[in-house]
Amino acid sequence: MNELIEQLKSAYAVLVVPARADTQAAAVPAVVQPTDPERRGCHLEVTVTPAVVVDAAQVANRFGFAIDTITGIDWPEAGQMEVVYDFFHPQHRLHLVVRTRVPRDAPALPTIQDVFPGANWHERETHDFFGIKFIGHPDLTPLLLPEDADYHPLRKDFTNVSRSSN
Amino acid sequence: MSPGHPTDSSVSAAAPRETFVLNVGPQHPATHGVLRLKLTMDGEYVLHAEPVIGYAHRMHEKMGENRTYVQFLPNPSRIDYLSAMHYMHAYVCVVERALGIEVPPRAEYIRVITSELNRIASHLVWFGAFLLDLGAFTPLLYAFDDREKILDLLEAVTGSRLTYCYYRFGGLCNDVDEQFIEGTRAFVKHMRGRLGMYHKLVTENLILRKRLEGIGVISAELCRKYGATGPVLRGSGVPCDVRKLEPYSVYPEFEFDVPHFAEGDCMARYKVRMEEIAQSLRIIEQAIAKLPPGPVMAEKVPRVIKPPPGDYYFAVEAARGRFAIRLVSDGTEVPYRLKLRTPSFSNLALFGEAARGLLMQDALALLGSLDLVIPDVDR
Amino acid sequence: MAEQQAKWLSCAEGGAGSEPGSLVRFARLEQLLDWGRANSLWPLTLGLACCAIEMMAAGAARFDLARFGAEVFRPSPRQADVMIVAGTVNWKMAGPIKTLYDQMLEPKWVIAFGNCAISGGPFVFPGQYAVVEGVDKLFPVDVHVPGCPPRPEALIEGILELEQKITGTRRWPRVKTA
Repeated sequence: MNELIEQLKSAYAVLVVPARADTQAAAVPAVVQPTDPERRGCHLEVTVTPAVVVDAAQVANRFGFAIDTITGIDWPEAGQMEVVYDFFHPQHRLHLVVRTRVPRDAPALPTIQDVFPGANWHERETHDFFGIKFIGHPDLTPLLLPEDADYHPLRKDFTNVSRSSN
Repeated sequence: MSPGHPTDSSVSAAAPRETFVLNVGPQHPATHGVLRLKLTMDGEYVLHAEPVIGYAHRMHEKMGENRTYVQFLPNPSRIDYLSAMHYMHAYVCVVERALGIEVPPRAEYIRVITSELNRIASHLVWFGAFLLDLGAFTPLLYAFDDREKILDLLEAVTGSRLTYCYYRFGGLCNDVDEQFIEGTRAFVKHMRGRLGMYHKLVTENLILRKRLEGIGVISAELCRKYGATGPVLRGSGVPCDVRKLEPYSVYPEFEFDVPHFAEGDCMARYKVRMEEIAQSLRIIEQAIAKLPPGPVMAEKVPRVIKPPPGDYYFAVEAARGRFAIRLVSDGTEVPYRLKLRTPSFSNLALFGEAARGLLMQDALALLGSLDLVIPDVDR
Repeated sequence: MAEQQAKWLSCAEGGAGSEPGSLVRFARLEQLLDWGRANSLWPLTLGLACCAIEMMAAGAARFDLARFGAEVFRPSPRQADVMIVAGTVNWKMAGPIKTLYDQMLEPKWVIAFGNCAISGGPFVFPGQYAVVEGVDKLFPVDVHVPGCPPRPEALIEGILELEQKITGTRRWPRVKTA
C-alpha cells in the first residue's frame, strides 16, 4: 500500500509542464501532497496545471484507478474555478485527488474522456453547473439541465432563472 | 444468445441497412422512473443507446449551499430514497469527520443494523421490480410483503417508512427499544427462510435463467473506465466493497463476505444482490449479539455546526454502490460546496456501451439489472 | 356499498333523486357511468421520485389497492383514467408530463401525490431553478394528498376522495378522529 503511494508520488513528480521560450513561462511541476485519510478521506492530493490533466489521468489509469467523479468549485474572490478529479482504486484502499484551477472568466481545460470514457458525463455535468468548457469533449449539451439551458446554477453569482410560466 | 445474434462488427459491416430511432421514456414502465433512452435500432437489435437524463433533477447540490448543515439533514434520504440510511450515514459521517466528533459505539452499531436492514429492503424492491420487467408479477408481491416487515421495524424507531432522518451529527436521534431488537431477530430468522423460497421460486426458474445468463455482459475493465461500483462491479468479478476496502463505522468488527461472480452478465448481478441479502442478515445478527449499552449521542457536539475550513470526503457502500460526499467548508454555518457522487450515475453511464448489439428485450433486462434510481442519477 | 346500490336502484326506478317529467334521462346514464368509473379507476404509471415507491407499496400485497378497483396501473396514458403525479416535477419533465395529460382521454382526473406535486415541497427556496412549484401550474388537480412521502393509506384515502368527487357519495365511512 505505502509502496504504491510512493510509486504514485514519483509518477506524479515527473509530471512537469515544460518551460516555454515564447512566453517565458517557467516550468511548473505537479505538487504532490500526501493527506491523512482519517481526517480528509483521501490519501494523495496532486495539484497540476490544466494543461497536464490528461497526463495526470493517464497516470491514474496506468495504476489501475477507476474514475470516481469530477466536479467544479467556484472561487470568485480568487477569480478562479477549481476542477477536482477523484479516483478510487478497486483493489486497494487508496483514494487519489487531482486538482487544477482555471481562470474564472474563461474556464477551459482539456477533456480526459479519451482516458476514462466515464468522464464524459461527469464533464458534461460540470459544464452544466459551472460553465467550464472541456476542450475536445464531443458533446457539451446540458445533461441534467433542460436541453436549452444557458445558465450555470452552481456558480456563486447565479441568482435566478427567469421562466415564463407556460 | 440466439444463433442469429450479430456481433458488433457484423452489425456495422452489413450496410446499407435501414435503422430507426426508438424513443423509450421518460414515462415508460421499464425505465423505473423518468429515464429516457434514445435507441438506434436495426430491427430488434440495439445499435446505439443514449440515455437522456435530468428529468428528475432536484438541485440537491444547490440546496447544500443554501442552508445550514442541520437544515440539509432531510435531503440525503431523498437522493436515493431506497437506500436512505446509507446516504444519511455518508452525510453525517462527512460532517463528523470535519468536526472531529467521536460517535458512541452503541450509535454506530445501531447505524449498522439500520443500514443493513435498509439494504435488504432496497434489494427486495429491486428484486420485485426487476422481475416485473422480465414479466413475472408474483415475486413483487412476496418481496413487498417482506419489505413491509422491515419498514415496520424501521418506522418504529425512525418515524418514517421511506425517507428516514434518523442519524444525527454525533449519533442518533433516539435509541432503539427491546421491541426493535426482538423484531429484528425474528425478521432475520424469517428472511432466511424466505430467501430459500425465493431461490426455489425464482433463481432456479428456467425462463429467468434463459433471460439472464450470458446477457448484457459487462467486463471489469468497462466498470473501471466508467467508475461503476456496487453489485455491478461485483457482478463483474471484482470484490470491491467500501465496507471492506475503506472500512468505516464498525464494519471491521463483523464477519461477512463480499459476494462476487466473474461472469459479468445479468445473472451474476442478480446473484450478487441475492447473496448480499444473506450477508446483510449475517451482519445484523452479529451486530445485535454484540450491541453494547451506553449513550447514542456524543456529548460534545457543538450547537452550531461550523466545520473548520477545508475539504473533506467520505464514501459509503450504498445499496447501489459507492456513494460519496465531498464537502468544502469555508468555516461558516453553510457548506461552501457539497458534491454528491452517486452510484446510479456512474452505473448508468456505461449502459450505452454495454447495450450495443443486444436485442431490445435483453437491453431492458440489462437496464433492470443495473438497479437504477433515477433521482439518484439526476440528483 | 349496499346503501349506494339501493340508492342507485331507486334512482333507476324513477324514485327519489331522479328528475321527474322528462322522457330522456341522461342523468341516470351519467350516474351509472360514474358509478362504474369510480369503481374502476385505472391510474397511469407515473412514478417520478420517492412517492412512486409508496404508490407501488399501495398496489402491492399489504395495502392492496385492488380492493378499491384502482390497481390496474396502465403504462399508456390512452388507457388511464387518473394520473397520480407521484413525485417532483421539474421543468425538463414539465413538457412530457403535459403531453401525457393531454393524451389521456376524457373524463380524466389528477391526484397530486406528495408535497412536491402539490407545491414543490422541500425543493422550493429563493433562487431555485429546476422544480415546478406544484403540478396545478400545468393542469388542473382534483385531489391533493400531502406527505413527504405520503403513506400508502393516504393514497387509498385520496382514491376514495376522488370516488366521492365522481359519484357524490362516499364508499367507505369516514374514520372519525378522537
